[in-house]
Amino acid sequence: MFLAFGLFIIACGGTHFMEVVTTWTPVYNLSAAAKVFTAVVSLATAATLPFTVPRILALVRSQQVAEKLRASGERKEALLQEVHHRVKNNLAVICSLFYLQSTQTEDEKTVQVFRDMEGRVHSMALVHESLYGSETLASIDFAEYARSLAEDILSSHGGRRVPVEMNIQLERVTMSTDLAVLCGLILNELIANALKHGFPNGASGEIELTLRRAPDGNCRLCVRDNGVGIPGDVNVNTSKSLGMRLVRSLTRQIRGSFELVKVDRGTSANLDFTVDHP
Amino acid sequence: MNQNLIPPQPRALIAEDETLIAEELTDRLSRLGFSVIAAIDSGEEAIAIAIRERPDLVLMDIRLKGEKDGVQAAKEIRQHVDVPIVYLTAYSDQLTVNRAAGTDYDGYILKPFHRLELQSTIEVAMKRHAIRTTRQQP
Repeated sequence: MFLAFGLFIIACGGTHFMEVVTTWTPVYNLSAAAKVFTAVVSLATAATLPFTVPRILALVRSQQVAEKLRASGERKEALLQEVHHRVKNNLAVICSLFYLQSTQTEDEKTVQVFRDMEGRVHSMALVHESLYGSETLASIDFAEYARSLAEDILSSHGGRRVPVEMNIQLERVTMSTDLAVLCGLILNELIANALKHGFPNGASGEIELTLRRAPDGNCRLCVRDNGVGIPGDVNVNTSKSLGMRLVRSLTRQIRGSFELVKVDRGTSANLDFTVDHP
Repeated sequence: MNQNLIPPQPRALIAEDETLIAEELTDRLSRLGFSVIAAIDSGEEAIAIAIRERPDLVLMDIRLKGEKDGVQAAKEIRQHVDVPIVYLTAYSDQLTVNRAAGTDYDGYILKPFHRLELQSTIEVAMKRHAIRTTRQQP
C-alpha cells in the first residue's frame, strides 16, 4: 500500500514536471506516457485502499484498547486494595467491640468468651493483612500467614509470659484467599485448643506447627503438643465444644479430613486438605 | 516501665478516626496507667492539641479525617514537641511503611492489635524516648 502511494506521488510530480517541460519542448509522447503511468498507479493505489485502511485503523484501535485495558486493570487492582483495607478496618472495629463488651463484666468465663471471639475475627483480619505483601490479591502464601497467626495467638495468650514454645515448620503453599480464611479459622481453634487443654494452669511445654505439601496438591497441617494429652472420652465427631464443632464444619467446607490423635506425649491434630491453587 | 524516666501518670493523646477503636485504646491505655487527654479524629486537631498539651505519648492512626494524615501530623508535632509517637494502622503495605519510616517514630502497631503487642510497643517507645531525652540533657 505504502509503495503504491509513494509511486503515485512520484508519478504525479513527474507528470506535472513533464507538462512544464512540454510548454517549451513539445515532447508530447513522453508527457502522454507519464500521464498514462500516473493514471495506472493512481488506480492501483485506489484499489488497495479499501483493503488496507480498515487494517491500519484496526491496528491503531487495538493499541488503544490494550492501553485502556491496562489502565482499567490498574484501577481494579487499586480498588481491590482499598476493599481489602476497608474489610480489615471493619474487622478491627469488630475486635474493638468484643474487647469493649468484655470490659463490662468481672466474670472470667465471660471475658474468655469475648477473647475467643476476638481471636477468631482477628484470624480473618490477618488474611487481609497478609494480602498486602503478596503479588496478587486473589491468592496468598499460607505459610507466611500461618506463621503470623500462630505468633499472634501465642501473644494473645500471654506472650513470652506463657511457658509454651512454638516450633514452626511450614512449607510454602499458595492458596486462594477464601480457602486461607477457612484454614486460618481452623488453625486458630487448633492452636487455642492446644494451649488451653494441652497446658492447663500455666504448664510448660512445646507446640509444633507443621505444614507439608505433597506434589499432588494434598496438604497436611499439623498442630502437635507435648501437653497432658486428650482424655480418652473426647470424640472429634461428637464433641459438643464450640471449637471442635467449628473445626468439624470448616473441615467439611474445605472438603478435608480431620483427626485428633494421642501421640506418645501429648496430642496431634491433623488436617488434610487439597489446595485449590496450582 | 522505668519509674525514673517515665512520669508516674503519663498523659496520652490518641488520633484515630474509628471512634470504637479509639474507645478501646482509651480503655487499654487507662489500664496501662495513662491518663488520656483526648481521642480525636483529624490530623489538624491532633497537631493543635499535641502542641498545646505536650503529651507524654501520641498514638497515631495513619488514616485520619481532614487534610493531613497521620504521617504529616506526626511530622509537624515532632517539629514542635519532643514526644514519642507510635503509629497504629490497618495499613501495612510497603508504601505506607516507607512513608512512615521517613518520619521519626518510636513504634508501629498493626490493627487489629493484641493486648500485649500494644503494651510492649508502648513500653519500648516510652523507654526509647526517655533514654534519648536523658542523653540530650545530661
